[in-house]
Amino acid sequence: MEFQSCFDIIGPVMVGPSSSHTAGAASIGRFTYELLGRCKPEKARITLYDSFAQTYQGHGTDKALLGGLLGMGPEDTRIKDALAIASDENIDYSFLLEKDQCPYYDHPNTTIIVAEAGYRHVKVGGVSLGGGLSHIFLINDAETTIRLSTDDDFRSICNRLPLYMLTNDKREV
Amino acid sequence: MESLLSHCEAKNVSIADAMIGKESEKAEMTREDIFHKMKDRLIKMQEAVEAGKSDGSPAPSGISGGDALKMGEYIDRGDTLSGSLITGAMRYAMATSECNARMGVIVATPTAGSAGVLPGILFSLRDNDNYSLDALTNGLFTASALGYIIANRSFISGAAGGCQAEVGSATAMAAGVIVELKGGTPRQAVHGTAMAMKSLLGLVCDPVGGLVEVPCIKRNVIGTSIAFSSADMALAGIESRIPCDEVIETMYRVGSEMPRTLRETSLGGLATTPTGEGIKRKLYS
Repeated sequence: MEFQSCFDIIGPVMVGPSSSHTAGAASIGRFTYELLGRCKPEKARITLYDSFAQTYQGHGTDKALLGGLLGMGPEDTRIKDALAIASDENIDYSFLLEKDQCPYYDHPNTTIIVAEAGYRHVKVGGVSLGGGLSHIFLINDAETTIRLSTDDDFRSICNRLPLYMLTNDKREV
Repeated sequence: MESLLSHCEAKNVSIADAMIGKESEKAEMTREDIFHKMKDRLIKMQEAVEAGKSDGSPAPSGISGGDALKMGEYIDRGDTLSGSLITGAMRYAMATSECNARMGVIVATPTAGSAGVLPGILFSLRDNDNYSLDALTNGLFTASALGYIIANRSFISGAAGGCQAEVGSATAMAAGVIVELKGGTPRQAVHGTAMAMKSLLGLVCDPVGGLVEVPCIKRNVIGTSIAFSSADMALAGIESRIPCDEVIETMYRVGSEMPRTLRETSLGGLATTPTGEGIKRKLYS
């Protein structure tokens, strides 16, 4: 059962235009921000796969992912301006487009984020399932299944992660 | 759906009541707190309707916007074909979906692409039949119970199952809501849901330029009419010959067999018409 609450169906409250391409994407970005210890990354490489790669511009998937990485939630009206805000803050970000399916996860709305803040360096794989719900399927090359609803407390989810997931020897972003 | 119905019939409660009970048990919150949380979302929906209905500005893409305003002016001239209940719903659905395209704040019901249908029918019922915000909040619980089953058994995202999964699900939920708000039984509501979903089976997701605008906004608008027609049939005592559970299962099978080009990739359908391709070139040049 992916959807567990009436508020997964009536909700989230979010900026448009797409719950899977905007709200779910913002959640994946926001989760990565929490994983970086609530720090905005200095550097972020974001790979978009399949439907994400085909339609990201129209849905603002890039803005939502980046907004999330800057700590914005799905209802934050600043998401619209996230690319400009990130540039103003001198964040070195880039998007890579892979128009085929993600090799790690069979779903059209997938992304892999590699981000760096200070000495912290994380790799996060996320899939957006619709209705604002998403799954984190990869953290630093360890497979996982973490369900994210926009209502969840991402910080406490991050605090409960096993230690081996939080270590990442690879230094390149 | 059958197990939801047996629960409602055994306990003599509405679908909305059953959902509030289940949620309060699971989330360990009082029924009042859950009700208020849902009412807050209804108020956000109302704000989106209000923002959208008088906003004539185009979306950033320039390919949508201003139609809710036109619909309002048309209604004010007092000579519509469908009557005030349906045209009101059309106007509010359009207002919400246009607000969504402008990256305004909306409530996904169940998704942002299909966020127009429910506020459309709810706020038109308020205008025409004097439903209170509390009554409409109950309607959202009915909608969430129906959507919960659809989402867990099938899908609600266009990328996974086509537009039938988005506007189809929203319309099916809306039909059940109308039946229950109008005093129909839970069983009638579920038949309304089945009849609405059957009408949209196979609908592909083919957004022009990848934007949730063309044809998404107008499909939300039309969804409200299908919801009212299905609800009227259900309230007349007409039943879906195919049980609702089997219709939902069919939506899953049809969506699974749908080619990738017709599942929100903008690689087929209206997105690849000469006009659709032209818009895409203009947007991304």
